[in-house]
Amino acid sequence: MAYQLDFSVIIKHLPLFLKGVFLTVEISFLAIILGLPIGILGAVARTSKFKIFNLLGAIYVEVFRNTPLLIQIFIIFFGLPGIGIKLSPYVSGLTALVLYVGAYNTEVIRAGLEAVPRGQVEAAKSLGLTGVQTFLYIIIPQAFRISLPALGNNWVSLVKNSSLVSVIGMVELTWVAFDLNALTFRSFELFGAATIFYLILILILINIQAYVEKRISYKT
Amino acid sequence: MFDFGVIAKNLPYLLSGVQFTIALASLVIILGTFLGIILGLSKLSDNPLMRYPASLIVEITRDTPIIMQMFFIFFGLPALGIRLQTFPAAALAMSLFAAGNTAEIVRGAIDSLPRGQFDAAKSLGMNYFQMMIYVIIPQALRRMIPPAMGLFTTLIKDTSLAAIIGAFELTRAGQEVIERTFRSLEIYLVVAAIYFIICYPLSYYTRKMEKQRAMGF
Repeated sequence: MAYQLDFSVIIKHLPLFLKGVFLTVEISFLAIILGLPIGILGAVARTSKFKIFNLLGAIYVEVFRNTPLLIQIFIIFFGLPGIGIKLSPYVSGLTALVLYVGAYNTEVIRAGLEAVPRGQVEAAKSLGLTGVQTFLYIIIPQAFRISLPALGNNWVSLVKNSSLVSVIGMVELTWVAFDLNALTFRSFELFGAATIFYLILILILINIQAYVEKRISYKT
Repeated sequence: MFDFGVIAKNLPYLLSGVQFTIALASLVIILGTFLGIILGLSKLSDNPLMRYPASLIVEITRDTPIIMQMFFIFFGLPALGIRLQTFPAAALAMSLFAAGNTAEIVRGAIDSLPRGQFDAAKSLGMNYFQMMIYVIIPQALRRMIPPAMGLFTTLIKDTSLAAIIGAFELTRAGQEVIERTFRSLEIYLVVAAIYFIICYPLSYYTRKMEKQRAMGF
């Protein structure tokens, strides 16, 4: 018997799908926001004059960038209870995503910091700004502008990577599709629909990023 | 607390998983590069019948999670009568993902070459293939290598996702050991360390090459 495509399963379970989409958006958004300070902190450590901060920053970046996110999620959720740290799936998943995107942000923001011309720092000093003021008002805005395209790539990867928190039971888009599949066996329709939802989310994100990039770019 | 005996005892089993991780990654890198070059060149083609389908494939494979593509191929395709085992399903899904990303690297590298190179090749009377093989590809290749190596590192890490559909590789091997021993922390840390040992040299050389390129070599 040939398989009959039946997309009514999507319509029927649309509320659950939208709930999944909402959670995917929520954790991605939180991880994007929380990943920025981590990235800035990491980048400051990586460009620090103190060897020890530099080394710690390097270890953080290399460890998180050279191991699979899936394993990081497993270590936080299944591994840490072994030493007495029990975290909920939500907190585990979000922590893993934030640390992972933070490591990638660190490298991007570091490159941004290094690309700000030295003259800017000297000009700020000659205006009498303190070190912190120089960093906050002169360096960061320019570094952010330089880093934004690469940060945008990290964010796109992040939304895709948020699918992995389904493996520890977070009811986001991937989990919903997987769960409904077990219930209805409408694999083709369900995973097709979930794929399209992701595609829409990512395209929205890419367009927001392109818009912001255009708004804050130098007017020539 | 920590039990290191369990690591020593199960290391051979984990290493048997590493073989499959490396096999899967190699297969994906070879297939993905091959398909990616074809897709990338199609995206640059003047023929809309080549350009639009290629762009569509690239967008779908790049802008959706690999795990979705794996589920789609492993659970979804049997509905259309195409039934794949776990390992081939993972390899196919990841190869498509690799191809989409490679295509963008190829397109980006060729697009970044000065237009004069194309004009010069044409004015010498070269046809498309001569122009590509003797003029464009050799120059574009140098720009492709650092991002391609970055992609390879990502792909090696992402082979861990094959465990979710049950394909046997390093992550799955780790899960099996944990099902027997219940030592999640130790085993997952060792698994992470093994991935690190495989990926770190690759990402180290990628960075070195990027630096050299930035200095103009």
